Order: sequence, then C-alpha cells, then structure tokens
Amino acid sequence: MKNTSNMNRNTENTNGYLLKVEDLKTWFAIKKGLLRRTAGFIKAVDGVSFNIKRGQTLGLVGESGCGKTTVARSIVRLVPATAGKVIFEGIDVLSADKSESKELHRQISLVFQDPFSSLNPRMTIGNIVGEPLKVQMGITGSELTERVAVLLAKAGLSSDYINRYPHEFSGGQRQRIGVARALVTEPKLVICDEPVSALDVSIQSQILNLLKDLQDEFGLTFLFIAHDLTVVEFFCDITAVMYMGRIVEQAESEELYRNPMHPYTRALMSAIPRVDRSSAKGAFGGEVPSILNPPSGCPFHPRCPLAEGECLKQMPALKEKGGHEGQGHFVACWKC
Amino acid sequence: MIERKIKKGRSLWQDGLRRLWRRKLVMVCFAVIVLYFLLTGFIYSAELFGWKVGPTQWQESVGKSYEPPGRENIFGTDIFGQSVLRKMLYGTKTSITVALCASLISLLIGVPLGAIAGYFRGFVDEIIVWVYSTLSSIPYILLILAFAVVLHDKSLFGHKLTGITTVYLAIGLTSWVGICRLIRGEVMKHKEREYVLAAKSYGCSNSRIIFKHLLPNVFHLVIIDFSLRFVSFIHAEVILSFLGLGEAERPSWGAMINDARIELSRGVWWQMAAATIAIFLISLALNIFGDALRDSLDPKLRVQ
Repeated sequence: MKNTSNMNRNTENTNGYLLKVEDLKTWFAIKKGLLRRTAGFIKAVDGVSFNIKRGQTLGLVGESGCGKTTVARSIVRLVPATAGKVIFEGIDVLSADKSESKELHRQISLVFQDPFSSLNPRMTIGNIVGEPLKVQMGITGSELTERVAVLLAKAGLSSDYINRYPHEFSGGQRQRIGVARALVTEPKLVICDEPVSALDVSIQSQILNLLKDLQDEFGLTFLFIAHDLTVVEFFCDITAVMYMGRIVEQAESEELYRNPMHPYTRALMSAIPRVDRSSAKGAFGGEVPSILNPPSGCPFHPRCPLAEGECLKQMPALKEKGGHEGQGHFVACWKC
Repeated sequence: MIERKIKKGRSLWQDGLRRLWRRKLVMVCFAVIVLYFLLTGFIYSAELFGWKVGPTQWQESVGKSYEPPGRENIFGTDIFGQSVLRKMLYGTKTSITVALCASLISLLIGVPLGAIAGYFRGFVDEIIVWVYSTLSSIPYILLILAFAVVLHDKSLFGHKLTGITTVYLAIGLTSWVGICRLIRGEVMKHKEREYVLAAKSYGCSNSRIIFKHLLPNVFHLVIIDFSLRFVSFIHAEVILSFLGLGEAERPSWGAMINDARIELSRGVWWQMAAATIAIFLISLALNIFGDALRDSLDPKLRVQ
C-alpha cells in the first residue's frame, strides 16, 4: 500500500510523461589480449534523451547499426546501460530494486522484429502468450487459458490456436502472437523493435493497424523503432532520427516530414521512393563511419554536403530550432 | 467451414517421430535395439528370481572342450565346454548395462555443465572450459585406464566397486566433454535468440529460462548424442574388457574376444565370431537409428 501511494505521487511529478530518458549511454567495452584489458569502447548509444507522453507514440528511426535497438534494450535492461537516467512512472529504471523490477517487467513489454525467432519453437501458443502471466502473477489453469484466449482474439487470432505450435503459423500470424504476448500483462509502455520490417508489405499494414487499434483500446504508449520512414510517418506522433548513437533531429512527425532540417534527415527523406520522382535527389554516398573510430566533431561531417569549420571540431548539441518557437523541433547541427 | 473443436497442434517432437516411423529400415534397427534391451532386462529378472534359463546357466558345461558349431551348440563351446551362445547372450547384459549407465552419467554431467557455462559465461564458463579442455587433452584410452585402475576394488558409499561398475564409472566420468561442448555452444547461440530475450524482458528467472526455454530447444541434440554415444561406449567396454580391466567373473564380449585371441591360431574361430556378430548388429542398428534420429529431430534438416 505504501508503495502504491509513493508511486502515485511520483507519477504526478512527471507531468504526463510516461517515460523519460535522459542522456542514456550504452557503451560496450572492447577487450583485448590475454589479460582482457579494455582497449576501447563501442559507443552504441551515446547520450540519447527523449520523453514520451502517455498515449503517444515516439518513433525512433535511423539506419542499421545506429543504436536504435540498443536504446530499446537498455530501457528494459536487457543490456546494461553505462550512464544516464531512465524514469518510468517515477521509477528509476536503471537502479530499480526487486519489487520495482517486478513492476517494470509487467508495465513495459517488447514486440520483437523477427517473428520466427521471437517465439519458442517448443512451446504451444497458449504457453507462449500465457507465460508472462504465469511468471509475474502466478496465474494458472483455466483463468490463464481464458485470459490468453481473450488476448488472442484481440490480436485477431482464433482462440482455437491455443494448443498449436509456432511452426504451424505464417509470419504475420506469428507477429500477432508476439503482440498478444506483449499485451497479456496489460502493460503501459510497449516497445516495438521493428515489428513489421521482417514482414511482407501487405502484412505490415495489418500489423500496424492492429497495433493502432490496440493502442486506442488500452491507451498504450509506444516506443516504435523502425528504419522505414513511411511506416513511422503513418504511425508516430513524434519522430526522432538517430545517427551513430545520437539523436540528430526530433520533432512532431508532421513537422519533421514537412520541414526536415538536419542534412541527414533530408537525405533520408529524399531516399523515400516516390511515384512522381524518378531518382533520389539529395541522397549521398559514403558509408557510416566506423563506430570504433568515430570522426571528430559532428559524426555526420564526413558525409555531409554542408560540413565546414565548426562541424569538424565540435559536437553539436540537440537544440530547439526552426521558425516557430515552442513547437518542439530539435536539431543537432551547426548549419541549420 | 467453421470448426469448433480445438485442434491439437503437432509439436516438433511428434513431427520428427512421425517421420521416423515411416522409414522401414530405421524401424527394423529400432526393433533390434529393443531386442537387445529386452534380452538385458530378461537376464536381470532371471538372475533376480533365479530362473534357470539359457543365458544365466552359462557356467554349466554342455559338452567337450572346443566343440565346433553344430546342431547341439550353435556357436560351439569354449575351453571349459561352456556354450558360446549362452556367453554371447549374457555378454549383452554386460554391454548394455555399461553403455546405458555410462551414457547417463556422462550426459548428467555434460548437459548441465554445458548449459550453465553457455548461459552464464564469465568466470563459471572459464572454469568449466578449463576442466574439459584439460580432460580432453589427455588421450582417451589412457584416461579411462587410469580411472579404471584407480576405481578398481575401491568402495563407494559402502558398495564395493567391482568389474562392471568400475567400467561404467570410468567411461562415464571421462567422456562428458563432447556433449558439454556441444550444449555450451548451442545454449550460447540460443540465448541470443529473441524468444529468450522476450522471456528475460517479462521477468523469467534464470533457472526457468534454462529449463523451460533453452534445454527443450537443445534436447534433440542430447537424444541424438545419446544414440551415437551408446555405440562408442559398447566399444569402450569391449576394449576395457579385452585389456583385462572389465568384468572378470562374468562373460562379456570383450573378454570373449580376448579369449579368442589365442584360440584363433588353433583354428577356433567361433567364440570370436559370436562376439563380433553381437557387437556388429547392435552397432549397425544404433548407427543407422542415430543418423535417422538426427535427420528427423534436427529442425535445420527438417524437410517438408
């Protein structure tokens, strides 16, 4: 009881934000030699901050290897964060104690990218979807079956599937099972780690619509990770663009798509295939620099058409810019 | 169209065994294996209840010394006039017991150690890897011999370790390295899979992840390894008995081959032949069955 009231107070303090991530850093040590000395760090996530309001969806986009997934895994502590703060409903996630951890396991859940490896091939659908309930609340027997059946129905699957095994389903159906498992404990925050990028385009929209419907029904908050900009535009309220472990631009989706400011975002936008344009203009060549040996200053400068002077020396901070003050359009660039 | 009955799904296990069932040769091999096991069980119960039937009466003299195979004694007699057929049948008990106990011992050591090393990594892993690297760097036969010599006529929990017990302890305690390595590698691979990450994200304990998620997914390897391991342990028992470290008071195939070594130069081939046929049949059956198990239980080799 005491715990609950304590939590309620904290909830009020967080001003409608469900999740606050402040300066999150996740570095992986590179060990070398016989003595396993630390030779350096891979800075997979290097100072990421964002907030998500209740009921909102924040999209995190960027190319492969930019640290999107590591951000997600750090938030649920599958990967230990090096520094920073993650506050979920007043709970400091990174230093949560046992009872807080239990609460977090229940309140934050994950939907994974690959529907083929995210379901245990030796378990029945009923056991897969029901396991979180069993582990967290000790629910078993007919009550468990009932709740699983309800969730399967909500995810658009027949409750007759309860005794089947994952290999008997298609990719889209498996992803629905993954969604059902994520929602069975009635979480507040669902982290979707590229939930549709392994699926056929025709199935993608089904899953996205399902997620949207479930968001409306349960009042869910999403952290939505993707590399497909059209998916994010459709799905997210706010979009953050990541490059080499940092957020380079963040704004409401509509604003970001209408008025992209960071040269990286612009290049990404121009890479979206469109019917009325034959070739991608403004796209650039080059590779993502090695994360082992990041460039000085702005990490984007070796590929940036505007880079000069300051860009090579100092890291730009994420600052609110743009014509309309207070709109929440943040960019990390010296040139815009 | 609408089917209201809840369909039972078919697990990968059921799926694999169904495919196994369809193959005739494999089922013949399986029948041979079952036959050996039944014979072993029969000899055990015969000894327990004091039934006076063929194999248990191997000590009885049935004829003159070195009678060649004939109508009366299918595999002839040995130097004491004992029936070679009875000795061969009795040898099944020795071999199957040793192979079964040694397999179980090595799997009970190897599988948990492999799972722990692969799952927790770090310090625990390094110790386990160090132990099995050391064990596997010692020549296999030498190690078994050393164990057999040390264990010979010692007592364990008040039981005197005689013949057969020494053999399966020596084999079992020294040959868990292969399966340990295999399970460690597989667990390392599986624990990065998203279904394990999902289980961690909703708060599964480590032991639940190992027992409910990881082990069921690598268990087909244990079964396959068991079937192939069984053959090599039958051979190991034969070698140990041949070297004089095995069962001394009762017949075994290895001891029979050892006796036949000298007899062979005198043209007495039947004891050698009987032991070899017994070993050959079970080895062949187990090898074919083991390969078929691998084909049907390994999801990677799964053919629709």
